[in-house]
Amino acid sequence: MEWTAVATARELGRRRKLRVEVDGVAVALFQTEGRVYAFADLCVHQDRSLFKGTLLHGKVICPGHQWQFDLETGYEADQDLCQPTYPVRVDDDGTVYVNVAPDTRVPARTEEEART
Amino acid sequence: MTPRTIVTVGAGQAAAVAARNLRRQGFDGRIMLIGDEPHAPYQRPPLSKEFLAGADSEAALWILRPSWIADNDVEIVTGTSVQRVDPGSRTVVLDSGADIDADAVLFATGGTPRTLPVPGPRPDLVHYLRTLDDALRLAPVLAPGRRLAIIGAGFIGLEIAATAAAAGVAVTVFESVPVPLARTLGSAMGETVSRLHRDNGVDLRTGVRLAGIRTTADSVLVEVDGGAEPFEADAVVIGIGITPNTTAAEASGLRVEDGIVVDALGRSNIPNIFAAGDVARRYSERVGRHIRLEHFDNASRQGVAVSNAMLGRDAPSDDAPWFWSDQHGRNLQFVGEATGEPVIRGDIGALDFTGIYLEGTTVRGAFAVDRGEDIMAVRELLGREVDTAALCDDDTDLWDLAYADIDEESQVQQ
Repeated sequence: MEWTAVATARELGRRRKLRVEVDGVAVALFQTEGRVYAFADLCVHQDRSLFKGTLLHGKVICPGHQWQFDLETGYEADQDLCQPTYPVRVDDDGTVYVNVAPDTRVPARTEEEART
Repeated sequence: MTPRTIVTVGAGQAAAVAARNLRRQGFDGRIMLIGDEPHAPYQRPPLSKEFLAGADSEAALWILRPSWIADNDVEIVTGTSVQRVDPGSRTVVLDSGADIDADAVLFATGGTPRTLPVPGPRPDLVHYLRTLDDALRLAPVLAPGRRLAIIGAGFIGLEIAATAAAAGVAVTVFESVPVPLARTLGSAMGETVSRLHRDNGVDLRTGVRLAGIRTTADSVLVEVDGGAEPFEADAVVIGIGITPNTTAAEASGLRVEDGIVVDALGRSNIPNIFAAGDVARRYSERVGRHIRLEHFDNASRQGVAVSNAMLGRDAPSDDAPWFWSDQHGRNLQFVGEATGEPVIRGDIGALDFTGIYLEGTTVRGAFAVDRGEDIMAVRELLGREVDTAALCDDDTDLWDLAYADIDEESQVQQ
């Protein structure tokens, strides 16, 4: 397991989102209701930056074509596929860690694959 | 009563989304999609963009994965036209004369491009773009150095112009109105999109009246009123809108007025017959009248709403229209309605801006270039009164405006 400290809760701040790079991987962080979620920043559709999108009604919405990814799973119901997500850990001091190791990355996949 | 067999006439976006939603809602009866094209349901938006440019495979267009179709036992009948639906016997009558029993029918027949007469020996040089096969036929025309004439500077014409220009084609667009897209977006935004095209090498000729198009042994000649010489091109694309495909609906006794007239849930004047997508003229509570929209997003939303209605679940979708376009590497998005000329947020000269349409100080819509996030925020602001100065100030976070109102509302409720 390779957890990398990428931000503090304060840096996530009021906008509730942040773009960070971990080992050359662009990661978009979103915070809502006290939890932090990490997505591959580049949308599976056309490489738009999800960080420039928004978090609304439990979905991360890509600014390019408004694909809506489920916060928990990355699943896009209309397209029937998933945006890659990464595990996140937040320490008591508010430090946000992301693990982008290949074995932890949840890759682009379909809903059935996500369930198994 | 919940139907046991649901048939869609047409197998495009609305029909495919309806089928998927029916299964997601637990419907376990028979589902059959009947389409006249030789393909399973596919997405049309990429046909003028990434697919036409050769960046996407056909498989990337499929709306329903083949494994999903098999696992969910959805029958897809391709290359088959429907003559009419017989409400009395509850059957769908195919052109071949065969009957299919159906408890409920969804008309999602889409539209067909309007055509222009093009006499001459080479009809193969004349293109329209609606179907996957149209795109497959047009793609090889887009080779460096070729001359392409495009009739109509609507979204389809402009998207093809952008894709062709990027491929090294010499593109000339002929448009009858002085400012393209002005009816949809207003003049200022239409001028801005025109500039985007001209800056990218597209010869955009507006306010021209077409006198005629004809083919010769090896080219297309476009003649305009007052033009000295005909304009010569290697091929022409005609993109002047679509007409809804209502022949089978009319033959079935459905009410048709430039589209199949349906209520807010997609129900036609005949019980158990529904319509959705480009072909449907649906009652919109929001607008206060029947409207027909030719947008991907509308087809998806209505596909869900109408399939819910088929199962007796009333969940109409009446959201403000939203659409996008990708041209010359820029992402264009629109939401709501264009009420006159918009106020500008951002840098219109640098094509990094959002035009926001107001009625007084009430937000009615927005058009953005490379600012999809603004469009999402404006969607939340539709119908609300705003501080125009704050709206146009790039240092104001639009979400703060949106959330500020929500906070005030919730405080009022408390």
